[in-house]
Amino acid sequence: MTWQTPLFLVVAGAAFGYSGYKFSHLIKMMKAHQGKKERLDHIAARLVTTLVNVLGQKQVLKKPGIGIAHTIIFWGFLIITVGTLEQFISTIYQGASFQFVGHHLYGAWVMLHDVFTFGVLLAVFYACYRRFVVRPQGLGKSRDANLILLFTGSLMVSIFLMHGFQILGAGAGGEGDMWFAGLMPFSNAVAKALGSFGLSAEANAQLGTFFKWVHMSLVLGFAMYIPGSKHLHVVAAGPNTFLRRLPREKGMTPINFEDEKVTQYGAAKVTDLAWKDALDYYSCTECGRCQDLCPAYNTQKPLSPKALIIDLKHNLFDNKDRILAGKLDEVTPAIDANVTEDVIWACTSCRACEIACPVFIEQTDKIYEIRRDLVMMQSRFPTEVQTVFKNMETNATPWAFSSAERANWAEGLNLKTMAQDSQVDVLLWVGCAGSYDDRNKKVLRAFVNLLKKAEVKFAILGNEEQCTGDPARRIGNEYLYQTLAKANVETMNRYNVKNVVTACPHCFNTIKNEYGDFGGHYEVMHHSQFIAKLISEGKIKPTKPFQETVTFHDSCYLGRWNNVYEQPRAVIESLPAVRMVEMSANHDKSMCCGAGGGRMWMEEKIGKRINVTRTEQAIATKAGVIASSCPFCMTMMSDGVKTKEMTDKVRVMDIAELIDQATP
Amino acid sequence: MNIYVCIKQVPDTETKIKLSGDSAVDMAGVKWIMSPYDEFAVEEALRLKEKNAGSTVTVLSAGAPRVVEAIRTALAMGADNGIHVELPETADNNMAARALAGALKKEAKVDVVFTGKEAIDDGAAQTSQLIAEYAGYPCVTVVLNVEYGAGSVKCKREIEGGAFEIVEAPMPVVIAAQKGLNEPRYASLPNIMKAKKKEVKVLKAADVGVSDADQKIRLKGFQLPAPKQAGKKIAGDAATQAKELVRLLHEEAKVV
Repeated sequence: MTWQTPLFLVVAGAAFGYSGYKFSHLIKMMKAHQGKKERLDHIAARLVTTLVNVLGQKQVLKKPGIGIAHTIIFWGFLIITVGTLEQFISTIYQGASFQFVGHHLYGAWVMLHDVFTFGVLLAVFYACYRRFVVRPQGLGKSRDANLILLFTGSLMVSIFLMHGFQILGAGAGGEGDMWFAGLMPFSNAVAKALGSFGLSAEANAQLGTFFKWVHMSLVLGFAMYIPGSKHLHVVAAGPNTFLRRLPREKGMTPINFEDEKVTQYGAAKVTDLAWKDALDYYSCTECGRCQDLCPAYNTQKPLSPKALIIDLKHNLFDNKDRILAGKLDEVTPAIDANVTEDVIWACTSCRACEIACPVFIEQTDKIYEIRRDLVMMQSRFPTEVQTVFKNMETNATPWAFSSAERANWAEGLNLKTMAQDSQVDVLLWVGCAGSYDDRNKKVLRAFVNLLKKAEVKFAILGNEEQCTGDPARRIGNEYLYQTLAKANVETMNRYNVKNVVTACPHCFNTIKNEYGDFGGHYEVMHHSQFIAKLISEGKIKPTKPFQETVTFHDSCYLGRWNNVYEQPRAVIESLPAVRMVEMSANHDKSMCCGAGGGRMWMEEKIGKRINVTRTEQAIATKAGVIASSCPFCMTMMSDGVKTKEMTDKVRVMDIAELIDQATP
Repeated sequence: MNIYVCIKQVPDTETKIKLSGDSAVDMAGVKWIMSPYDEFAVEEALRLKEKNAGSTVTVLSAGAPRVVEAIRTALAMGADNGIHVELPETADNNMAARALAGALKKEAKVDVVFTGKEAIDDGAAQTSQLIAEYAGYPCVTVVLNVEYGAGSVKCKREIEGGAFEIVEAPMPVVIAAQKGLNEPRYASLPNIMKAKKKEVKVLKAADVGVSDADQKIRLKGFQLPAPKQAGKKIAGDAATQAKELVRLLHEEAKVV
């Protein structure tokens, strides 16, 4: 035992003690969250996604440049940490080493260690170049980030200095036999450079030991720094990926209103959210990918999904003492100077943030839980929404129309209602837009034409159909949503409905993914999927040439929420002579039209209009037709074209209309 | 303060009125709501209560058993209790006013009574004044703003020509609310839950001294207005058009 052992035990004990103490606070704060999220099912699927996204860095690599740099740093972290561990152990038990694994394996690791140390250093240089020279908007300025880069870079430099001097001082009382020195190309280069100082072997060995301590001190310092920094990410991101919402789980969590013990609906305070939400904050490393794609942020609304996560984290940390003291009732509100009501109402629930997030943070969950509190507990929401709620309560539609006139759109079409004949292949779910909105009534009529041409046996619910409740749910009125959802499920189950087709992605998502919670289990297809199927089965043959350039605008609830990207495109491409062009933002990076999340019924008072921004992207393709597959997108894009005074050059058409006019 | 609100349940604004024969309105499928002007009245009552600790807001409605739903809506907004005076479907403004005034008179102390300026079904704008008359209170109608003094109110009301007048009246007083008085609140969920357990007292017509003789209006029959016709475009030169327009106004529209 040398002086190194007791010194290290004291220093490391203090550092890890401090770090552990801080981590215990983080865990206690997480556990204090009252909301519920069950995330321990489907273990196999979770392990797979963890392997693919943590070890494989799949999501991270979606951005090639910094993705590769991150992957090198991440893998370097894994490999180098083994070395750090060996160092710690050998400092406590002099001479201990991982060489027992065999020369080949140890040698291979030594080489990887050396290569990755250099790789990480390069990656850190690239990250600095990006952060200080390129300065992508999503990154912003961060002292924390600068310190982390300095720490990481210093760690690598200290490794090279340590190895360099150790190689020079080998056999002179330092690290003993360094038979593997030849396997360290970069450290050898450093040793060669350091050799030019011409120091004695003893001096070199002592400097090797000195830089070992520098390195270990940096590691310990980093360990103390991490719990209070965004670099907490290195600890939390892995578990957060394992505990992510799996693709199969798309719906919002229902509230059990029968449970009389529940007195708080939604999140008034951060602690009303779930433990997983806290883990989300811990996982965020502020990369800004969410913000880059956010339609609200990109049109100067006060919402940035990145800022939201950081601000909620600060709110949580500001309440630390109260939470640790068990005084949850004294925790300050979630709505504060940073997370304002305008922030919460700006979200279109397009989910671009969640799809872009490399660590699977669930931004929308937090917004929608806070909305639930604002609406149901406090009755605070944009004033125009009150009429929407009232319309839905009395007439089961967000618009001011009578429920007795719901089926008027179908006049003259000779459609059967389920009440007249429920022995059909599929229920056509019309939705409120198809029932009441003049432009979208035409879409429904076109789709009905196609169903008739394909001789599909279908019926509608007529005046028995009610709004699915989606707008109420997204705005935060879960109570109203459940009233409508339960009524619809009761109606559909009464007719023993098995298959449903709808031209509205919001209805599609709700009936398909969210009605199961209320006993409604159906095979639900969006009309793009249905038409694609009819075409592939040869039941519809679009033969009339369509000499137009068409760009397809993805609906969020079809694309990001349900992963339907290709069928609507296949439907358009089935048109003879059609030319398809993509907007710069397409598929999962597509920009929302601005109508989701209940925004359809709210005024857009701040910033540039989202629909106009999206329409400009469509117009930039020079396409003559913007194809839509959602009634709200139809309204928003049509309004956008009108605003841009392009109605004589650009038409907005639903895919059903495109196919109907081409099908004899 | 003892605050009272008289409300009426009416068919929803989007209802398309259908007749059953020519003697009655077809009530099947009608969605019922609290008359929108009454919402301003309820809201004003709740705001007054919130400013005066220890106040109670009681909601009254006269009519068929279904009107209790409207009372529950007001209770969900935050009113404390309800009184339902049972009247037949055929009850007119006079009978309702008699019943509501009678119910108010049974109360120990009344400070303010709020109503809507009119109900949106018959649009009669009678009941507030009649209640005031039968209860012996002053009445201010079409009110846009109220300032509360000790034992009196100062109301801003809308008059013809977009002008306003300020009216002072002693309490107890009937105040009929106009749109613009406030923004009615949306009931919070805890209040909706609580409303289910609040008491609604039921009174018979006889309990408040109302008899069949109080019904002054007897409806003889119903007729829907003629369906709106499509616009007409008159062709020809200016002189021909003018001539044809006069002819149509005289012979078809019968207005000149």
